[in-house]
Amino acid sequence: MTRPSGRLPRFATLLAGAAIVVAACTPAASNAPSTGATAGPTTAATGAAAIKYPATGEVTCPSGATAGSYNGTEYKGNLKSIEAPDASTVIFNLCAPDVAFLQKIAFSVFYINDSAWIEKHAADGTIKDTMNGTGPYKLDAWNKGTELTFSKFDNYWNKDKYPLVPNAVLRWSKEAGARLQALQGGQVTGITLVGPNDFDTVKNDPNLLLAPAPEGQALNTLYLGMNHDDKPWDKLEVRKAVALAIDRQRIVTNFYPAGSEVATHFTPCAIKYACEGPDWPSSGTAADIQKAKDLLTQAGFPNGFKTKIQYRNVFRGYLPQPPVVAQDLKEQLAKIGIDATVEEQESGTLIANANSGKLDGLFLLGWGADYPEVTNFMDYHFGGGCTAAFGTCYPDIATPLGKGNSTTDDAARKAAYTEANTKLIDDVPMVPIAHGQYANAYLAGTEGTQVSAISTEVMWAMKPPSTATDPNTVVLMQNAEPIGVYCADETDGESLRACEQSMEGLYGYAVGGTDVVPVLATSCDPNTAGTQWTCKLRQGVTFHDGSTFDAQDVVLSFAVQWDAAHPLHKGDTGIFEYWGGLWGGNLNPPPPATPAPS
Amino acid sequence: MIQFIVRRLIASIPVLLGVVIIVFILVRVIPGDPCTAMLGEKANAERCAEFNARIGLSQPIPVQLGIYLKQVFTLDLGTSTMFGRPVTDLLAQRLPTTIELTFYALLFAIVVGMSLGILSASRRNSAVDVGSMMVANLGVSIPVFVLGLVLAYLFAVVLKGTPIALPGVAAGRLSPGFRFESIAVAWGMKDLAGPPRAVLDFISNMYTINGLVTLQFGLLFDALRHMILPAVALGTIPMAIIARMTRSSLLEVMGLDYVRTARAKGLRGRVVLFRHGLRNAMLPVVTVIGLSIGGLLSGAVLTETIFGLSGVGLTITQAITSRDYAVVQGFALFVALVYVVVNLLTDISYGYLDPRVRPS
Repeated sequence: MTRPSGRLPRFATLLAGAAIVVAACTPAASNAPSTGATAGPTTAATGAAAIKYPATGEVTCPSGATAGSYNGTEYKGNLKSIEAPDASTVIFNLCAPDVAFLQKIAFSVFYINDSAWIEKHAADGTIKDTMNGTGPYKLDAWNKGTELTFSKFDNYWNKDKYPLVPNAVLRWSKEAGARLQALQGGQVTGITLVGPNDFDTVKNDPNLLLAPAPEGQALNTLYLGMNHDDKPWDKLEVRKAVALAIDRQRIVTNFYPAGSEVATHFTPCAIKYACEGPDWPSSGTAADIQKAKDLLTQAGFPNGFKTKIQYRNVFRGYLPQPPVVAQDLKEQLAKIGIDATVEEQESGTLIANANSGKLDGLFLLGWGADYPEVTNFMDYHFGGGCTAAFGTCYPDIATPLGKGNSTTDDAARKAAYTEANTKLIDDVPMVPIAHGQYANAYLAGTEGTQVSAISTEVMWAMKPPSTATDPNTVVLMQNAEPIGVYCADETDGESLRACEQSMEGLYGYAVGGTDVVPVLATSCDPNTAGTQWTCKLRQGVTFHDGSTFDAQDVVLSFAVQWDAAHPLHKGDTGIFEYWGGLWGGNLNPPPPATPAPS
Repeated sequence: MIQFIVRRLIASIPVLLGVVIIVFILVRVIPGDPCTAMLGEKANAERCAEFNARIGLSQPIPVQLGIYLKQVFTLDLGTSTMFGRPVTDLLAQRLPTTIELTFYALLFAIVVGMSLGILSASRRNSAVDVGSMMVANLGVSIPVFVLGLVLAYLFAVVLKGTPIALPGVAAGRLSPGFRFESIAVAWGMKDLAGPPRAVLDFISNMYTINGLVTLQFGLLFDALRHMILPAVALGTIPMAIIARMTRSSLLEVMGLDYVRTARAKGLRGRVVLFRHGLRNAMLPVVTVIGLSIGGLLSGAVLTETIFGLSGVGLTITQAITSRDYAVVQGFALFVALVYVVVNLLTDISYGYLDPRVRPS
């Protein structure tokens, strides 16, 4: 974050300022910082070039069901502090081991900004409109409503390798058919999310190239949920009968694009530890139907019962044709006497009803990966983050998940997820149905084509064919305009993809893959307990505005997201949604909202 | 005349107030809420409570309405939950696209529609008449999205590589990466700030005007090339209506006594048609044109979606989908305001076309 000017290096300035803050603090005040200003980075008592966040007060970690505390407020997060002992080292202290630490810091929302940039642009509200990263492309302009244009960053630390062509343009169109026609017309180099019905059109066009997700890499899951707090789903036999009656292969064959797979586990098998334990039992055969009927009889429903299949009519990779699949499920369940009514609910209403346990029938929902780690699928649904969707959380599933997410030991994790997946089959809170295939398409001859479940396609690793309208410019068309380009406070894949072109994190995902690779860090290593990660930073990296990358940038980039009372905790909505979801909670969270009188 | 305008403007206040209140209530009545619309599967009760509190949705609806009305009277239309920007800023960003699209669609509709109507009326029952009216009937029958896709497929895909190829669907307003200067920069006023700069930037975003006034002809032609297909797609239905209305109105007028008198005086047919016939046949045509502007604004939703033009229509669609109450309310108010103004201008134009209906 130091600029190449002759002024006092910013790191030292901040350290000096922070030292003054510490000196001025009374003991009482230091224990109770109420704003980001008092909690801001400061020097260690030794006076060495060190910073720590929060600088004052101690974070008390949550313990079991008991929340921790900081500054007199409840604290539910797993991050305890961030330290920078010197300009090239950052240490993350955690309350409990986090096996997904690297996958999380590789996620686009944790990309690193220059600290001076944050101070200026978060304060004046322009941070969501512009980027100052360290990546191969710098953002030249965001022509609102039309495109983002990028050009080669001449001082990129890995400039001998990337970018492959000097210019890039990110465009968008909501309609899959329109995107395809733009590609056919040669207006763009590539498009994301080919419509499920257009796969064959692309395959059969010699000028185009279909880039489907590699086998097993469709990182999404469709499931049919049941709330075991409601009748008749409180009876295990009923849930098992539903699981047996559904011919999942028929659904995938008839209603999903080629390359989609029947789910053998809740989490897609491309993710490590996802598919430990037995496969989901086969279902839908004549024998299975008979077994299902017997189970219903055992449960006291020899003639079946009436229920609902609730769904939302929203296209997702895990469910390309919601009403048709719901209707097919209705027909399948009729074979065992379950008379289901298909009920469409508004998207948000269905999710809200599911999460609050108000869906009293069957419901179709799914999940797409935020980051490729088994905890992102399992813990959210059945572990620490479980909602009331399936009723009271299942402790026999949550317990092994708790073990699995708190150890880095390979054998222990395998054992934990074997047990969790086995318990899923035993308890049947839901039936995993499919992992939906998705694909991007490119002009034939394009180099470096990619398809990503987590919106990480990077144009700097692509090269248009020599026959393209402009071989020196990659033009990628996605399905919507980015909402903002300060991705710390965005959740949509379109914004995240825009950030990917220009921003970098300590770690990132391998081009076209899901493995984490060091980027602005040269390494991040845990201590033996897994509660402390030490990251060594890459030297000689500069931001697009010429500032030098150092530890202060890392600390502030994380701190402004973490501390809800930080004066720079500002972005698009100011919610910083992913922070809460991935790290458990904010420092100084706002007081609970009072619900509106009904 | 001034009294008439003032009276009409005052009368429009309750209309606009009604629009504000009805839209305010409607967006809250439809199922869903901004939090679950934005966060999708990731939404939960705790996060949504925080989200709603932050954007003021945890207050009772009458209180929200009171706050909103107070804001509106100070020309503050609130902040978009999806974009995190003031609605007035979004409107300023998105409006130039819609203005350009609507203008060129209307231009196409008027020029082609009136030409076809006049041609038909002047050669009644001839092959030209039948042909023109067939085109009009076809035009009024084809939905915007079908015509847009067909035109785009023809001109962008089938004719790709030919001199008459045009940018197709999802092409945006300019070729990818096209670089140009804003008016302020081109005129050497890059340090200009405040409202004058905002006005210049607003005009700059109407690319054809920008290209024209700054002599950036590359920008002008690129913007025009990208505007042809959307304008034709959007303008075809009003073109057809205008053509039919022009024809029937002109035929009616051409049968009146004063036209026969004009002919009897020995005036040339063209003079009779344009000077005596057309002007008097224009009243219903002007009414149709006025109403068409409203239709163009609503048709712009589809056209903008297909052709990837981020204008007012596309933004309203996105806002409804994501339950972005502030944007829906603000844009609906703006569209209502446009209707009021266009209706007023239409009424004023009657007076110029026919002095008998000129307001005193």
